[in-house]
Amino acid sequence: MKKLVSLIMILALIFAFVGCSKDDAKESQEVVIYQNKVEIHDQLSAFAELYTKETGIKVTVKTSGGDSPYAENLKAEFQSDRQPDIFVIEGMGGYNTWSTKLEPFADQEWMDLTALEFVVDGKTYGFPVAVEAWGMAYNKEILDKAGVDPATLTSQDAYRAAFEKIDSMKEELGLTSVVAMAAGPDMTWVTGLHNFNGYLSAGLPYGDTTVLDKLNNGEADLQRLTEYADWVELLFQYADEAVLLTGNYDAQVGQFGTQKAAFIHQGNWIDPWLADNGVDFEMGFAPHASVYGKHNAIFIGAPSYYVLNNESENLDAAKDFLNFMATNEAGHNYMVNEAKMVPAFTNVTIKPDAPLSANVTEWVAKPNGSYTWLQNDMPDGFGMGTLGPIYESFAKGDIDKAEFINQLKTKIEAIK
Amino acid sequence: MGDLVPPLFKKGLIMRQYKSDRLWFWLFLAPALFAFILVVIIPFIMGIYYSLTDWQAVAGIKPNFVGLENYKTMFTDIAFQYSLIRTFLFTFLSVMSINFMALLFAFLVTREVKGKNFFRAGFFIPNLIGGLVLGYIWQFIFKSVVPSIGTLLHIPALEDLLLLADPTLALFGLIFAFTWQYAGYIMMIYIAALLNVPQELLEAAEIDGANFWQKFRSITLPMIAQAFTITSFLTLVNSFKQFDIIIALTKGGPSTIYNGEIVNATELLAVHIYNVAFKYNDMAQGQARAIIFFLMLSVISIAQVYFSKKREVEM
Repeated sequence: MKKLVSLIMILALIFAFVGCSKDDAKESQEVVIYQNKVEIHDQLSAFAELYTKETGIKVTVKTSGGDSPYAENLKAEFQSDRQPDIFVIEGMGGYNTWSTKLEPFADQEWMDLTALEFVVDGKTYGFPVAVEAWGMAYNKEILDKAGVDPATLTSQDAYRAAFEKIDSMKEELGLTSVVAMAAGPDMTWVTGLHNFNGYLSAGLPYGDTTVLDKLNNGEADLQRLTEYADWVELLFQYADEAVLLTGNYDAQVGQFGTQKAAFIHQGNWIDPWLADNGVDFEMGFAPHASVYGKHNAIFIGAPSYYVLNNESENLDAAKDFLNFMATNEAGHNYMVNEAKMVPAFTNVTIKPDAPLSANVTEWVAKPNGSYTWLQNDMPDGFGMGTLGPIYESFAKGDIDKAEFINQLKTKIEAIK
Repeated sequence: MGDLVPPLFKKGLIMRQYKSDRLWFWLFLAPALFAFILVVIIPFIMGIYYSLTDWQAVAGIKPNFVGLENYKTMFTDIAFQYSLIRTFLFTFLSVMSINFMALLFAFLVTREVKGKNFFRAGFFIPNLIGGLVLGYIWQFIFKSVVPSIGTLLHIPALEDLLLLADPTLALFGLIFAFTWQYAGYIMMIYIAALLNVPQELLEAAEIDGANFWQKFRSITLPMIAQAFTITSFLTLVNSFKQFDIIIALTKGGPSTIYNGEIVNATELLAVHIYNVAFKYNDMAQGQARAIIFFLMLSVISIAQVYFSKKREVEM
């Protein structure tokens, strides 16, 4: 009897052991993705489950963000015994921190479907999580009433003519000003970062950083600055003074949302604000004519990227998962309908239901439809802290255009 | 008595008593002293050291010693000079305005008026609202309510007034909001002092034919000089360190021109240091400015307390 009991015990132990080791084997097949968007954790987990059902490979989504700083938690995650296979970086800053841990992508199907991947020295390191974009957002209804075709808005001259025309019809269109523009102390990110990015990248091929590189070496392109100052002057001239000088985000978006302005200098992130406030008129993006010449592109960029951990044992599984997301209908459905993001891929046919995001997908699909985001690659504080007040002084009329150009030039040259 | 306790033994006993007292003294002091050294003294000394380096606040990067470089940059920086001037201006004006309003309120609510407790509470309540919240409240008032009043009363000047876009008006707006917040608290201190002024002195003066101003100047003011020491210290230090109302109300703006440079009109020292350290990510530079800030504040407040103390009257 005693022998039987011990036999059973031993058998149980063996089974348990086998069970365990089997579990272990399975776990090494698992792809762990460590990401920073709290708001899409549930949607991404659901998509990962769906992926497991289709392919049998387990994908675990771990999230930190919101109140807990992702960058610091990621360092802790790398100290643990189970490093993530996929994690998130936000452009060059993240690359500089993690460059020794990154594995480049190669020969992936999705790489031919986007122009927005994160590339350093010709190697693709980052899979664009989503796309954000800004241009001159316009109210289609008002433009129709005024008889302005948004497709013609491709140069500073076209804008000047359109602005003049709409301005002369302000009363009957019920507008307070043509453009909802903000340059006050709360809004230096619109002027010093977004608008200034026009100087850095408008009119240049995607990924061209020559103007930025010059800036970071303390060199100003005077010709471009002069052309660019005309654009800033034009926007300020046709903006409402109160919104321009003291308005905050709500005041600026509110002016556009209540149809008191025909244009707004903001991006597709204003969609939720507009939806929350019941705004349903037709709208879209026209290019910024930041410098002279014809423009047929808006500023499109990916704020964050999925990257591969080069110490991962499941590199292929991780690559397959990301490729599935970009190339499969289910992945598109997850990105657009579940997570409410704008995918960076040209093969996506599902349209977001938010108007500006829907318009961004059209621009993404257009050949040469994007200008680069370079505003975050300037020195810390330069855009908002140093340039922001210069725009404000120009808007107030404290300085004229020549002095505005001179101030920008002086500040750029002081970077060295 | 000498034969009851031998002198030598007595002396030893006292010594032992003394030694054990000292032991207990340090034992009881130790936790507080430990905490104080850990969270005040050590960071302070480290701060002085970091202000002499090119510290980045990134773990793993060793700071290099640069001597007084940060201090040199600071004093040649026009934004810093301007911020310093504005801070002194703001401090001077808001100390005046807060103390004046507080004393006025204290006078009013120590008269025999109906509902004086209601008024006391009313004046005090703004102090219970956090600086950020009331900054946003006043931002709303300055941006939306003031122009609406202008529209209502058909005053175009008021209607088109962009108070927060004007460098001078924005500073006054800030002083106004800060006075509104802080005068009630200072009023409480004045009330306590005013209630302690001996009535018999005032009555005697009245019988001698003194009028209100004479009584106020020669009796009330000297008698509440102690309160002045406290209130001017509190208002001075708090004005000098003002941060949260600025962040909520003006964010340091509007922009203005000083010595050919574009600077921020309400970026007072505390906000300026924050911006240098966190917006420009220049931690060592921010630290150096913070140390100068500390030195200035210490010297000014110690001098102020020293001179105010001289004026106090002992009964």
